Amino acid sequence: MKPTTGEKVFYGVNYFILALAALSCLLPIVHIIALSLSGNEAITLGKVGLWPRDFTWTAYSKLIQDTNIVGAFRNSLVITLVGTALNMLFTILAAYPLSRKHFYARRTLTLAIVFTMLFTAGLIPNYLLVKSLGLVGNYGALWLPGLVSVYNLLVLKSFFENIPEELEDAARIDGSGEWRIILQIVLPLSIPVIATIALFYGVAHWNSFFNVLIYINDPARFNLSVLVQNMIQSQSLMSELAMLDPDAFRKLTPESIRSAGIMVMILPMLIVYPFLQKYFVKGMLIGSVKG
Amino acid sequence: MGSLDIGARKDRESRMREKSALGKRRRWNMNKPLIIMFLPIVVFFILFKYVPMFGFVIAFKDYNFADGILGSPWVGLDNYRYLFQNPDTLGIIRNTLVLSALTVFVGFPFPIILAILLNEVQRSWFKRWTQTLLYLPHFLNWVIVGGLVLMLFSIETGFVNNMLERLTGSSYPFLFKEGSWIAIFVASGIWKAAGWSAIIYLAALTSIDPSLYEAAGMDGAGKWKQIRHITLPSLMPTIILMFILNIGNVMDVGFDQVYVLQNPVVTNVAEVISTWNFKVGLGSGQFSYATAMGLFESLIGLTLVLIVNGIARRSGRGLW
Repeated sequence: MKPTTGEKVFYGVNYFILALAALSCLLPIVHIIALSLSGNEAITLGKVGLWPRDFTWTAYSKLIQDTNIVGAFRNSLVITLVGTALNMLFTILAAYPLSRKHFYARRTLTLAIVFTMLFTAGLIPNYLLVKSLGLVGNYGALWLPGLVSVYNLLVLKSFFENIPEELEDAARIDGSGEWRIILQIVLPLSIPVIATIALFYGVAHWNSFFNVLIYINDPARFNLSVLVQNMIQSQSLMSELAMLDPDAFRKLTPESIRSAGIMVMILPMLIVYPFLQKYFVKGMLIGSVKG
Repeated sequence: MGSLDIGARKDRESRMREKSALGKRRRWNMNKPLIIMFLPIVVFFILFKYVPMFGFVIAFKDYNFADGILGSPWVGLDNYRYLFQNPDTLGIIRNTLVLSALTVFVGFPFPIILAILLNEVQRSWFKRWTQTLLYLPHFLNWVIVGGLVLMLFSIETGFVNNMLERLTGSSYPFLFKEGSWIAIFVASGIWKAAGWSAIIYLAALTSIDPSLYEAAGMDGAGKWKQIRHITLPSLMPTIILMFILNIGNVMDVGFDQVYVLQNPVVTNVAEVISTWNFKVGLGSGQFSYATAMGLFESLIGLTLVLIVNGIARRSGRGLW
């Protein structure tokens, strides 16, 4: 069938709107990249658009030499890797029993868990608890209170429920215990959903901001989010840098340093995101179908 | 004959009793490893989710560090009397409602529109690229998005103001005027979330029977009519579901977004419950006020979810 004139107009407008929307997501990031690589004068005169002017790496080298960005990067990695491993272990331990039909009180327990998603204790009671457990200033404060996300738990539980029971019955007849069934049958069959959930946890830890802000006081233990936020918000860091090295600083504007900081934080995400996108989308869908 | 019958029944009964005892035994044996597995989870949820709920008693006390949660004196509803009589805190509740309602209601149609538009794209490479780019902002946290916004709209060096200056000769303090600050707040929220939220609608769209469109096309229905009479009605259950989920968030303005975007000049419209709790509670140590506010927020959120779900259930589309 040949498209009618009306359809041609419709498709043209459609492609135009979508292209515009997609570019609105891309161009701000390109602009930040350009700023982070541009010289002082070009930035102050507002000449930097989507391409660096007076190309220079100074912002990055200053960032690495004079701020704790390398340490913050390492902290972010530790928070993310350890946090995600703990999350996965305990989410699996929670989801498997709840997915078994013969598990005692499975409905009551599930309801009690879902309730914590609808009604939360709020900032101060949580803070007082973490404080009384002696976790303030400790990465434990970032890992333990969010050990199991109810949403991810429900996703994994519903996936486990859909694994055919015959497989497990066969293993049970062969004398396998529950632990062996998990390790040798259930987990290998669930690798895609487990990867997806691990990615969700990982992104959340990498991006964590508020918890680090309230629980971690030692600047040496800040993650990238808090360090970059301090750079964006405070003028003092910029004047400190200016005092340390006035010559190099004359070539820099706060904008280029801030942009470079933002880039250090975005970059790992930009690198892995295109490859992992399909897992994220899959995870979103498993959750919403059940949700 | 009769006795034989009774005997047979007895036999069956005892066999069943034996079997059910065996079943119970077997069930217990199968449960043992599960209980061991689940024990740490029970500890986690009680300790980190339910114990803090009892911390809400601080809302009705005059909390101080020396006396602790249990020892601090009761003050009844004094904290609430303070919160609801003080114009500052009332303003904060109002700001929370305004910003979240704008985010929920203004932002709501965007993912639906994006999904419908994406669904009409026939070139798969174009669809793939736009989707990849539209989902990207979801993975950037508010520190980054806030940074992008501040850089784009700053007065001296911001890209937007540079353009404006070139076109009109003057710049505009977007982030320091209440109206434009709210607009930027809402728009940045939409920018971050709309693409990702479209995924759910896209999935719902794939289940529409293509023959419906063919038939409509035969009958001379143009694209607009097809979207109005086929696509939108098919999306309705998903739209209602997402609406319920969104309503539940109406009291909940995320801390991060406000914190990174706000500045002292726009505090009148930009201070919300979560940032106020942070400043008053953790900053100045007025735990009772912050907890009272937190409890108020949680209760409103819970009530909203229950009400909206009740309404949806009446039309057979409730969440539970």
